Amino acid sequence: MIYMDSRSTDPYYNLAFEEYLFRSFPGEDLFLLWRNSPCMVVGSYQNICRETRPARLRRLGIPTLRRISGGGAVYHDLGNVNYSFITRQEGGTDYDRSLAPILAALNAIGVPARKRRTCDIAIGEEKISGSAQRAAGGRLLHHGTLLFDADLTALEEISVRGKGEHVQTKGTQSAICAVTNIRQHLEEDATVEDFCRQLLDNMVPDPSDRLELTAAQEAEVRRLAEEKYRSWEWTWGRTPAFTCKRSGTFAGKSIFIAYQAKKGIVSDARIESHAINGPLAASLLNGARLDPEGFAAICRELAGDQEEELLELLL
Amino acid sequence: MEKQLSLPRLREEMTSGMLCAWLKEEGEPVEAGEPLYEIETDKVVNQIEATESGVLKKQLREEGDEIAPGEPVAVLETE
Repeated sequence: MIYMDSRSTDPYYNLAFEEYLFRSFPGEDLFLLWRNSPCMVVGSYQNICRETRPARLRRLGIPTLRRISGGGAVYHDLGNVNYSFITRQEGGTDYDRSLAPILAALNAIGVPARKRRTCDIAIGEEKISGSAQRAAGGRLLHHGTLLFDADLTALEEISVRGKGEHVQTKGTQSAICAVTNIRQHLEEDATVEDFCRQLLDNMVPDPSDRLELTAAQEAEVRRLAEEKYRSWEWTWGRTPAFTCKRSGTFAGKSIFIAYQAKKGIVSDARIESHAINGPLAASLLNGARLDPEGFAAICRELAGDQEEELLELLL
Repeated sequence: MEKQLSLPRLREEMTSGMLCAWLKEEGEPVEAGEPLYEIETDKVVNQIEATESGVLKKQLREEGDEIAPGEPVAVLETE
């Protein structure tokens, strides 16, 4: 097993790094450990509007990215450690084969973790790790999160509890679980850097098996990050078609909002409210891209200072 | 010759999967081994490859559909 060091905490770079290794190193079994600066990462076929809170994420400056594996939406920050296994695919899909070595490593460094459900790891009844996979061209990518010292308050604030019912859509739904940080359960305190080092020493003990990309390979990864992971087409354009319908209160008056979106483009938009110019709203929204910045500009035009309040209802 | 392509059983316990992306349009030529569509089941996105070469004549199911193993997904026009 070869360890590849991404040396980056940029989520766009890291998702591209992982996909690049998945596609370009067919002969090797690879192990990765990486951390992202704060971001939201949704599964390959998820509706961002149902599974996240785009207006709130925009206000907090947290970007949303789409990954190539299945499963649900995950909040990342530097207290969350991600691991990936990239191997040959053998037989049908199976989580146990990938979870066993990471569980063994966790137990060896004193984390009282156990497997729960199909692909989660828990301490007691609280989840510390979720995982997802992608299988293509005879290769298997298994990756998972490890909540070590993540900001669980931020996670709670942006979770979709009680949101999303107004969005009628196909696509994969996220599961909301009770979670805990590994750090709280250690007998001897450790930093996230210590934790990563211990995991790595366990998984890939021989330092000569730890590699980095060449400058040319790094340039390829940066190109993939720009062209795919930073692109609107991949992140928002792949949102499954949906209908949004909701009633609420805006500027102290009742409001009704309805629109559809297909391939990320809005149609059939309608806003009914005494505080909003309905025909103008329809003309600005129809044909617009689902996009927090674009929607914010529309809300500014429609609602001036109350832009944020309208955006929370719209996206 | 027209040939129906069915969803393979990807794991023992699999009851259905969600079609999450078509990677070829109707009318496009397809080489054996080339990826045709993607199916998500149990948080795994599986890229399904064409088993023979031909032209993708018809997409029988659309993105977002739940499909059981063995159900037809596409029609391929082969030589």
